[in-house]
Amino acid sequence: MKRGNLCSPASGEALPFILPVILFMLLLVALPVIGTFINSLFRDVPFLEKRFVGFGNFARLFKDPGFRESLLFTALFLLISVSLEMVLGTLFALTMNEKSRLTTLLRVAVLLPWVIPVAVGARIWQLIYNYDYGLLNSIIVLFGGTPVNWLGSPGLALFSVILADVWKTTPFVALIVLTGLKAIPEEVYEQARIDGTNLFNRFFLITFPILRPVFTVALLFRTIDALRVFDVIYVLTGGGPGGSTTSISLFAYRYFLLGDFGLGSASSVVLFLIALSLSVLYLRAARFKEAIS
Amino acid sequence: MNKILLFVLVVGLLTVQGCKKEKRLTIAVGGAPSEVEYLERLIGEFEKETGIHVVLRRQPTDTDQRRQELVIALKARERDPDLFLMDVIWVPQFAASGWLEPLDDYARESGVELSSFFRGVVENVDRYDGKLIALPLYVDGGLLYYRKDLLEKFGFSPPSTWDELVRQARKIQKEVRKKNPSFYGFVWQGAQYEGLVCNFLEFAASMGGGLTDSLGRLTIDRPENIRALQFMRDLINRYRISPPNTYTEMREEEVRLFFQRGDALFERNWPYAWKLHQADDSPVRGKVGMSLLPSSTGGRHVSTLGGWHVGISRFADRKKEAWELLKFLVSKEIQKRLLFDLGWNPGRRDVYGDPEVLKEVPQAAVLQSIFEKAIPRPVLPFYTRISEILQKYLNSALSGDMEPDDALKSAQKEAEVVFSLYEKR
Repeated sequence: MKRGNLCSPASGEALPFILPVILFMLLLVALPVIGTFINSLFRDVPFLEKRFVGFGNFARLFKDPGFRESLLFTALFLLISVSLEMVLGTLFALTMNEKSRLTTLLRVAVLLPWVIPVAVGARIWQLIYNYDYGLLNSIIVLFGGTPVNWLGSPGLALFSVILADVWKTTPFVALIVLTGLKAIPEEVYEQARIDGTNLFNRFFLITFPILRPVFTVALLFRTIDALRVFDVIYVLTGGGPGGSTTSISLFAYRYFLLGDFGLGSASSVVLFLIALSLSVLYLRAARFKEAIS
Repeated sequence: MNKILLFVLVVGLLTVQGCKKEKRLTIAVGGAPSEVEYLERLIGEFEKETGIHVVLRRQPTDTDQRRQELVIALKARERDPDLFLMDVIWVPQFAASGWLEPLDDYARESGVELSSFFRGVVENVDRYDGKLIALPLYVDGGLLYYRKDLLEKFGFSPPSTWDELVRQARKIQKEVRKKNPSFYGFVWQGAQYEGLVCNFLEFAASMGGGLTDSLGRLTIDRPENIRALQFMRDLINRYRISPPNTYTEMREEEVRLFFQRGDALFERNWPYAWKLHQADDSPVRGKVGMSLLPSSTGGRHVSTLGGWHVGISRFADRKKEAWELLKFLVSKEIQKRLLFDLGWNPGRRDVYGDPEVLKEVPQAAVLQSIFEKAIPRPVLPFYTRISEILQKYLNSALSGDMEPDDALKSAQKEAEVVFSLYEKR
């Protein structure tokens, strides 16, 4: 039997099966994207006359210090939180993959944050960070320290938001990596052990290369999620103090709320383009095509 | 045979559905669940009284989300909801967008006397470009709560100037701290959100400042405002009578709970806190007094005007019935009940002189004087954008990231850009 390639163009007999999905995607994904792009070319404010402005909204965006600040924040947030999540998630997955009674307990503990809705998780962290009666400050005071205003300065707020996000989404990475680990046959490791490789080499010479597509998927999902981060920040800091924790999504949201659909769309388009180019970059770098075919 | 039956059934169902869609009167209502339930009961009474069927569309509790829902519906020119509640600061945006039905003719025909309402409220908020476009469901204004028992114990009367407030707070805070180390003199809203702008406006206006001049031009960085912001910062850092988390966490509820725990002498908050402070399980029950906010020496006592208004959509398909419901909601009878049952303060002046009200609500006179003097936030369709800029820079100044004059100068500059973008040209 001829083995099909996932990435080859759809042949005649496959087309009827894929068509509904393609139509569905066009309707739900392509149309809104195109619509948003068209919107971004207009001055679309309900209390002003609608007018075509070309790339005027984008020019306004990049002149806006608030938008530049939100780009910088989103980049920092993305870089730090995703790196932490990937490393921690992989470590958790490796531990959970070991056969021991403790791992069952660990699995529950690690997965718990993932089950809690994001907004609820953020509320919990808000209580933990609270200056007066929060858990963190209670512990600090217990050991004779002075309370810290966790959400009070730009640096600390960035840290606090990242911590909450890492807590929430590390399980996702752990879960994906764990499924990948389960798929590696035990014999491969046995063979390696016979050949006398150590733990370190086993990970970097066997596990990592086999899991590369899995890592890519996890990284891709986490990157895109972190890029459009909204709920954690909306609940925890509202974008403050100052504008220091305003993500691009929050920035766009504020403009939609004001009724400036042109500028809101323009910031969404910028976000979309960043996400798209990062995805292409990742898939290229990971040689994803070869890996899965 | 069966097919024909099915056909009849389908057509029948479609017509019924169609009719329903044509004729329903929809009101969008949000807020705390208990409030929504109360309004639901009220509207039930309205239905019985008038025979008009009303569909109540429940909105989220969160104010931003309520606004978002309405903006989307109105931008799409949907026929529902026919009428809705608006936060006072949305009204200019909705009005300037042409989303609100002018109400002058309705009011004239059904004999609704506008003079029964607070003049400042109707003229500043409910009238846009000379047309009446909404009426107040309830009004709000900032006020000062104080601990009666503590002031008496130290021989003070409620402060009338900010200097007095600082003096009393420092003295009493020092004494009370000996027993309760987490006690503070004065709590107010300093977190980065709309409430911060309300607080700032009160400090600024009481010192002779303001956000706009008489011609409507922005005057964010005028000296009085800088002094007000410096004073707010001094409350935290210099006099140390306001807690250090004022600028990160203090919103209405945090402030209320702080005061209600018995950890503060003075509290700036909205009228809603009164009922909660006097609740059975409140540690400060019976120990709380209420007064106008202090002013600077020789200055004005000022409150920021808050509250919610009812308007009718220009795209509504049942405008006449919508007006009936609006009229019902702002009627004296219903406004009195909203005051008694929900603690919502009527936008009608005539309620405050009512003998029954004076008996039930002893603080009615204070409240009335607050609303007579309350000042609106700048009436601009893009006010929320200006407010965001203010929130950001005011908060930066409170946290010590920026100096008050730099912060307000930057805010002025950024706000001017917004002005030039959205001003009608």
